[in-house]
Amino acid sequence: MILRSRHKTTYCYSDPVSLCHNLLHLTTRNTHSQFCLSSQVQIDPEPAAQVERMDCFGNSTVFVTIQSPHKQLEFTAINLVELTPGPPIDLSQSPAWDLPRGQTGPPYDAATMESWQFLYDSPYVSRDAELANYAADCFPPGRPLLQAVMDLTSRIHSEFAYDPKATTVATPLKHVLDSRRGVCQDFAHLQIGCLRSLGIPARYVSGYLLTTPPPGQPRLVGIDASHAWISAYCPRFGWVDFDPTNNIIPSDRHVVLAWGRDYYDVSPIKGVILGGGKHSVSVSVDLVENDEFLQPI
Amino acid sequence: MSFPADTHQTQSSVDETECGWWQYPVLAEGLDEAVYDSDELRDSWKPFVGALNSLGKDRLERRWRDAQALIRQNGVTYNVYGDPRGMERPWQLDPIPLLLSAVEWDLIERGLTQRARVFDLLLADLYGPQRLVNEGKLPPEVLFGNPGYLRACHGLRLPGDRYLHFYAADLGRCSDGSYKVLGDRAQAPSGAGYALQNRLVLARMWPDVFRECGVQRLARYFQSVREGLQALAPHNRDTPSIVLLTPGPYNETYFEQAFLARYLGYTLVEGADLTVRDNRVYLKQLGGLQQVDVIFRRLDDDYCDPLELREDSFLGVPGLLQAVSSGNVAVANSLGSGLVESAAFYPFLPEICRSLLGEELILNAAQTWWCGDPQSRQHVLQNLSNLVIKPAFSGKRFDAIFPEFLSSSQRSRLIERVQARPSDYVGQERISLSTVPVLTDGKLRPRRHSLRVYVAGRPGGYAVMPGGLTRTSNADTSPIVSMQQGGGSKDTWVLASGVVSPFSLLPPADQSVELSRAGSDLPSRIADNLFWMGRYVERAEGLFRLLRVVIERMTEQTGYGDVPELPILLRALAHAVHSESEPPPSEIKDPIEWFEASLVPLLFDPERDCSVANTLGAVQRIASMVRDRISLDLWRTLRKLHLSMRDTGEDRSFRTLQPDEKQGVEGASRPNLNDVLEQLNDGISTLAAFSGLVAENMTRGPGWTFLDMGRRVERTYNLAHLLKNTLCKKSVAESRLLEDVLSIADSSMTYRRRYLAGLVTAPVIDLLLVDESNPRSMAFQISALMLSLDSLPRENSGPGRSPEQRIALSLLTDLRLLEIDRLTHVDETGRRAKFEEFLTRIVADLPALSNALAGRFFNHLQVSRHLARSTGQPPQ
Repeated sequence: MILRSRHKTTYCYSDPVSLCHNLLHLTTRNTHSQFCLSSQVQIDPEPAAQVERMDCFGNSTVFVTIQSPHKQLEFTAINLVELTPGPPIDLSQSPAWDLPRGQTGPPYDAATMESWQFLYDSPYVSRDAELANYAADCFPPGRPLLQAVMDLTSRIHSEFAYDPKATTVATPLKHVLDSRRGVCQDFAHLQIGCLRSLGIPARYVSGYLLTTPPPGQPRLVGIDASHAWISAYCPRFGWVDFDPTNNIIPSDRHVVLAWGRDYYDVSPIKGVILGGGKHSVSVSVDLVENDEFLQPI
Repeated sequence: MSFPADTHQTQSSVDETECGWWQYPVLAEGLDEAVYDSDELRDSWKPFVGALNSLGKDRLERRWRDAQALIRQNGVTYNVYGDPRGMERPWQLDPIPLLLSAVEWDLIERGLTQRARVFDLLLADLYGPQRLVNEGKLPPEVLFGNPGYLRACHGLRLPGDRYLHFYAADLGRCSDGSYKVLGDRAQAPSGAGYALQNRLVLARMWPDVFRECGVQRLARYFQSVREGLQALAPHNRDTPSIVLLTPGPYNETYFEQAFLARYLGYTLVEGADLTVRDNRVYLKQLGGLQQVDVIFRRLDDDYCDPLELREDSFLGVPGLLQAVSSGNVAVANSLGSGLVESAAFYPFLPEICRSLLGEELILNAAQTWWCGDPQSRQHVLQNLSNLVIKPAFSGKRFDAIFPEFLSSSQRSRLIERVQARPSDYVGQERISLSTVPVLTDGKLRPRRHSLRVYVAGRPGGYAVMPGGLTRTSNADTSPIVSMQQGGGSKDTWVLASGVVSPFSLLPPADQSVELSRAGSDLPSRIADNLFWMGRYVERAEGLFRLLRVVIERMTEQTGYGDVPELPILLRALAHAVHSESEPPPSEIKDPIEWFEASLVPLLFDPERDCSVANTLGAVQRIASMVRDRISLDLWRTLRKLHLSMRDTGEDRSFRTLQPDEKQGVEGASRPNLNDVLEQLNDGISTLAAFSGLVAENMTRGPGWTFLDMGRRVERTYNLAHLLKNTLCKKSVAESRLLEDVLSIADSSMTYRRRYLAGLVTAPVIDLLLVDESNPRSMAFQISALMLSLDSLPRENSGPGRSPEQRIALSLLTDLRLLEIDRLTHVDETGRRAKFEEFLTRIVADLPALSNALAGRFFNHLQVSRHLARSTGQPPQ
């Protein structure tokens, strides 16, 4: 299946911004079940410098500088990807989560080296006993790892209320755990924290989700949003994605932009500006099957 | 146990008759640097102690007093976080240096060079292929769980492929005489400048002893620093533009950074002085943007780029990482180098050294156990009392913990913390640090010490500073050596085995140098600060002069009733020092009562807006921000003023007045007015010295221009206010008031020479407003301002005048066209309405002028901030 995404972010300022540096994670990456057919980022006004580079997690990032004074800044990222989901995974076949890691090495293989990137604390996610405790019920001794992770995914889905007013980017994990509310990003951070606290490598995945309009109604333009879920590392199985917000294992509806230790590593747009006064931001995301008509916004 | 509780029990001292005044009781336990077997001097110390004894106690003490005065005058300071004296902690230096023989030094030099090489290669591996982790020589968590490992810096392209340009290690000497590394500094090692400052003070204090002992000089090291930095420049190798990036004046070692910048000849910049455009780094200067080739940073890794590194700080330069990765600028140390400061590396370092260099490690750290490893954790928890607990990772800071001194509940809390997050902790063997003689209260006492030694990369290798910063504990028993915790410092003398090379950083006189008349190379922030320094200095002078006349009038007469103009003067003073938190001056009912109550805070309270202490504090603060730009004499003059006012303010006897000295209002408590007068006279003389230095010694570049413009603007302001509050209403005491006004405006002499008759209003106003030959007149100020404005560099200068030029020209024209007779006309209500109107306009136009200046020259000093982020939303 071929999907087309359009992710448009507009910043408006009360005073002119004289200089603006941005770091973008808006380009879809290739995965074992996703191939990026084309990718472009339109920026208005025209940047004076634009450099693409690879970050240490293998995501394509774009560094942008805008040097002309402007009161509005707009990024439009358009990606075309082909999803080729593999067969469903038999979670019960995964090794027990508490099995001693049968690591071969040293020297270690590349997959093991990579998994270590995602095993320890990161800017928004610290391991602790409380998180391990929360997840403990899902991880009885000897349970297959992926089954346990799926169970935790369901648990978060059922016990936490989706509430965009409850949290901000800076809300600590402890607060999310106590209040049992948050958005996809909080649920992803929470699950990552639980898994790492149990010694399971887990990473944060940023992307989009294909939504289905109610039967008989046309798709509304711009109602989608960027989304986040997690991926857990399982020996022999590699990385397997879980979406705690929707209680599913992503397959043919999730488009991956980038992954990192947490939101800090892959936030779609980071920026530092000079000037600008008050500013507001609006975001619209559309994800459609390629043959669908994508209206201009 | 390393540190006996009863350390006061000391052994017999060196024989008094043999060694003159050198009496030094060493501690019963541990090694001493100067003495062995309790009373035998080490060979390396003999020439020094001999020279000391022949000098005699009196001469020594006299020289030491002079040296201390020099430190105080030069304002050598160390900022202590959270200290009530804040930015004013003077540098603690001991007159007795630490002496090291050539043999001892050879080991240190080889050991430090090797460590620098290992850390350089280690960084290259960790930020590159990570083979050490892959081969199992380093546990993955030491790298991947280390907050010092900055992902954004992974694989960054580096000029010359060197990661580590500056490195320092804290060394301690154990009882067996061996050196152990107590800590590594691999981001922006501080203290090399203090070491140099210590040397300058001691070499001046002991010129004879210094020569006799054959001490190695430090200058060559700093030459290596310069060569090393120059070689890093990606472009423009011959004359690269190099800046020293400071976190700013609130940093603990800001003094040192400014000193080093001056000494090395680099521009001292803060993050906001730099900007990234077109993937290059530029310095914002008055004349426009100048590209920077090399950044010598004193900013920690994660603060360097708020876009890609730590987001909650704007000390750095947004976009710097991209400029580095584009190969357009070199940063030393390279970003991310702080990773290897982590104590968690210590247990693995010998193996890492073998693996990377094929050599055995020469200088080891004190033995360290990383609690992330289960066996090591067990060892640490079982041997807590013998160990010191330290943070394992460089990014996580806490003070070293000595479990031996903890209560049992503190101890169990510590154990809980270690067990909850074991990888954050290391346990380290405690070293009984060797002692050195320190002079306290005229006697030599043994103090524990550690030595920080500096290494700098130069083309082809590393250079070690032959010397270093010796730091001492603050008490006999204290095992802690820290400047933050009140310890002292020493110069470190490395004795040469042969002849000392007379190398100096000063260039030989016959060297051909490209001629230059430095023009617009002034960072905008410095121009801004100099402008405000001018304003505050002038504000202080205006205040001094006003206060002086007020107090002179009060002390000349037997009672206040004999001074009819006093209420008017006091109201003018109330206007001049009015602060928002006070009731408006118009509501003051009894000016004399107000003055009695306000005098002490007006003089000494730094918290009161517009007070003398507050104004001088502002001058001092700004001066410290531009101290790499002003001469040492200028700095000392301002410092003297600030210190003398502060010292008087702290002197309680100054404030208490004997009952019979009281004048005027009964029961008032205030200082003796004659003492205050003396203080004010002193202050005015010191300010005159400052003006003289500025006039005679400061190059007429943009720096001088901004300082001068600040003074002109403020003087105009002061004068307008003074006239407005004194002469707008005709009063019975007018002729006395005229005399006072002339005196405050320092124009009495001119007036008397010109007008032999008595005091008349019109000529006084003419002299103070319009007479351009009077350097105190308003027309003189505005005319000087005009000249300054015309001399400034301007980008895109069009044919017309700029806004600030237009304001100044309009003011000057109006002044020149004034009709004094109409201006001094008194109407039927007793007011000079035209005069008041004119002065009101001046007072209103000046801020507009000041703002127009700021808009033109300082506007790019805006503050950076982050864009708002959108959080992820779920699908509906």
